[in-house]
Amino acid sequence: MPKYLLIYRDSAEPQQPQPSPEEMQGFLKMWDGWFQQFEGKIVDGGDGLLPTGRVLKPGGVVADGPYVEAKEMIGGYSVVSANSYDEAIEIAKHCPIAVIGGAIEIRQLAEYN
Amino acid sequence: MNSTSQLVEHFFRHEYGRLVALLTRDFGVRNLELAEDVIQSAMSRALVVWPRSGTPTEPSAWLYRTAKNLAIDNLRRQKLAQGFLDAAIAVSEESSTTIATLPHFDSEIGDETLRLLFLCCHPAIAVDSQVALALKTVSGFGVHEIALGLLTTSANIEKRLTRAKEKMRELHLELSEMTFTEVLERREAVLSTIYLIFNEGYAATTGDVPIRLDLCWEAIRLAKMVAAHPVADSPAAHALVALLLLHTARMDGRLDTEGGVVLLAQQDRTRWDGGLMREAMAYAQNAARGAELSRYHIETAIAWEHCRAPDFSGTNWERIVELYRLLLDRFATPMIRLNAAVARSYVEGPEVGHDLLLKLADSDRKQVRPWWDCCMAQLNERRGQHNSARSHWLDALALATAEPQRAFIRKQIERLSIKK
Repeated sequence: MPKYLLIYRDSAEPQQPQPSPEEMQGFLKMWDGWFQQFEGKIVDGGDGLLPTGRVLKPGGVVADGPYVEAKEMIGGYSVVSANSYDEAIEIAKHCPIAVIGGAIEIRQLAEYN
Repeated sequence: MNSTSQLVEHFFRHEYGRLVALLTRDFGVRNLELAEDVIQSAMSRALVVWPRSGTPTEPSAWLYRTAKNLAIDNLRRQKLAQGFLDAAIAVSEESSTTIATLPHFDSEIGDETLRLLFLCCHPAIAVDSQVALALKTVSGFGVHEIALGLLTTSANIEKRLTRAKEKMRELHLELSEMTFTEVLERREAVLSTIYLIFNEGYAATTGDVPIRLDLCWEAIRLAKMVAAHPVADSPAAHALVALLLLHTARMDGRLDTEGGVVLLAQQDRTRWDGGLMREAMAYAQNAARGAELSRYHIETAIAWEHCRAPDFSGTNWERIVELYRLLLDRFATPMIRLNAAVARSYVEGPEVGHDLLLKLADSDRKQVRPWWDCCMAQLNERRGQHNSARSHWLDALALATAEPQRAFIRKQIERLSIKK
């Protein structure tokens, strides 16, 4: 079955209010529900990404990252298996990132090897 | 795999307060901001790790260890004095064994949380800042939740918190340096801050209802914590718990099914919570030991008179008036004067109540409007003065902001217009 990479894009706006502990417990419950709902479909739960990074540019130039083009920053990822983009989108729609208003980029893995 | 659904309600919120207390003990109150940052990060980390690898068997210990390690990393980066760091790291290594024995851990945090609450109520910190600081650090509410609960803006809450933290830095306040005498001296301030938190949640019928209820239950949790502590405890603390429980027991009855205001006289008393009343009475019995008679004792006695009356007409108003007299001797706030006047009107007639309300000084009156206007309107109606009743309701409507209260007042105006 094809695999899809879900890339979580958070808003990079610095003025976002921090979620309260109560809200975080709510998110935790949502994540747990998502993992349970799509238990057989989530190949790799993935990880979060720290807000810092480096960008290696052509010619060996290293800049402080992360690579921010838009007003969004990649905050984490997961890998799911699905029959089609439609199914992958369905899984992503239920992901807490999407539920609380974040964006998710969905990319099919080439699986060359 | 353990599921997060096993976590008790408000687990993160309560955990936040415990962690602030523990980390400010470990690293000093001067590092309060760092403590809050690393707790936030540890919780964010839990959001990623727990759903993927299972909730740890001891989630409290996991959060503490994670936050503490983050704090040590951070301090190391700050290149703080090496001697202090070594000590902090030694404590950290030692604490991995402490964490395994949970009972000790539990009692320890109870103590630290209370210390933090007592620290928040330092006399040099303004009372409104004390409330915000306690809600943020001890109770784990978010800034926007505090703003919702206190009917103000997040910016305003941030300002109060900044001022409080500045004061703490200025005075070099530290948990470990709080003396036994200071704890005893500050008990009253702590109880009054808790009562204020409760009233913020209880008083208004507007705003975000779940958050306001959370404030009430949080105040009860804090009051119980004080009452259960061997040093901080006092009869007044038990009386406060009893009072808050009696108020909460009657909370449901104050609103009808559409969320409209219901006056005491019309409330369905079967909706009052008997379980909470019984719990309140147990605390009231404990409050009766010793000779202390605090305002909470008297207010509990008044609330109890209302609770035990079979219906409105069966209320023992003579006893309530007597209790108000006792209360006014010690604690004559405009609101208590207003309530005392209304109580007297049920014993001595509406004329007496009316005169008492008119005698209330302008400055006092200002603090209790539109309730003053509502009481005047009702007293005038009982005196048969329907026109002036109506005009007082109109004054009340002009001042009232909460929608359920406004709807109630409009209904009264309509009713009186028909009567005329």
